[in-house]
Amino acid sequence: MPELIRVRPTKIELVKLKRRLILAQRVQKIVKDRLSILTMEFLQTARDTVEAKRKLLDEASKLYKALSVAAGYHGYIAMGKELAATEADLKVTAGSRNIAGVRIPSFELVGNGKPMRGYSLADTSSWLDRAAQLSEECLKAIVELAELQRSFELLAMEINRTKRITNALEYVVIPRLQATISYLNMKFEERDREEKVRLKRVKVLVARG
Amino acid sequence: MPKPLQDEAKQSPYEKMLQESVRGELRIVNAGLPKTQERLANLLNEKYPHVVCHDGSTHSFKKSELEYLASIIDTDEQKALALPMLIELGPNQGEAAIICEGKLEEKTISKVLNMPVTCEQRRIRIYRPQLALLRRKLKTTTVYVFSPKTVT
Repeated sequence: MPELIRVRPTKIELVKLKRRLILAQRVQKIVKDRLSILTMEFLQTARDTVEAKRKLLDEASKLYKALSVAAGYHGYIAMGKELAATEADLKVTAGSRNIAGVRIPSFELVGNGKPMRGYSLADTSSWLDRAAQLSEECLKAIVELAELQRSFELLAMEINRTKRITNALEYVVIPRLQATISYLNMKFEERDREEKVRLKRVKVLVARG
Repeated sequence: MPKPLQDEAKQSPYEKMLQESVRGELRIVNAGLPKTQERLANLLNEKYPHVVCHDGSTHSFKKSELEYLASIIDTDEQKALALPMLIELGPNQGEAAIICEGKLEEKTISKVLNMPVTCEQRRIRIYRPQLALLRRKLKTTTVYVFSPKTVT
């Protein structure tokens, strides 16, 4: 049996407890809705994360092959010399968005549609172009995976927290309030019965006297 | 027999924490809602497209998503489409409603989901599978609303 909340056995307290019960049930409904949305988003993020990871591995594998071919064609020293001039700062726009009260980071690789290549097209082959194109795809996949992985972690933490609250409401707060309300109701009924018996007794005594 | 009564004034730390977290839950659930909605055409012209939320934080939009939306509607419609779109959760756990102004949202959602949808009483009703699909395509351009009306 759930514990009872210590209150004075008055009608006002009963009304207050009933109000608290309604509020707790409303909160429980909101929290449950939130939990179901978070779970849906979590599952979606998990699917996306797996997909993004697979994509990244595919891209990296293709990139490694393309780079090996390009290195074989140009030679490491010549290719290193060409690529030395291509170093550029990577620009990532970082923002945040909200999913049912959880702040999720949002990353986007900034690119104005132009490829980030700075090597001489005359001195290099299409193998290097292919490798450069794949490396750009790889960078996009890394940024996407970073966002998804962090979202995945944050959503998981929030789901755990929300589950604890839902369980507390479902198994502690609401049963306690219901038990206390029913205890007070029983007490009032008992008082009524006592009052009736007392009145009957007084009536008998008056009739005798 | 009921267990010994617990004094309300002398609540256990656990009980206090519980009450606080419940209060906090109500506060945070809609804190991330945007104060105002911005038109798609304006957002497309911004360097860092975002809106300010009720809790003072910002909600950023992804340019790729804005461009996707711009590609499926006309230029005139871009000036009218308000973002982020609000998804209201229904009392029935299986469905949700997109709060909309009119036919424009209907057309946009219909194109995104690749199925016909109808707007009734300023709401487009969709089911969970469609909601998941919509959120997958429009992650930053849609937000959830927990309306007190839906709490029964």
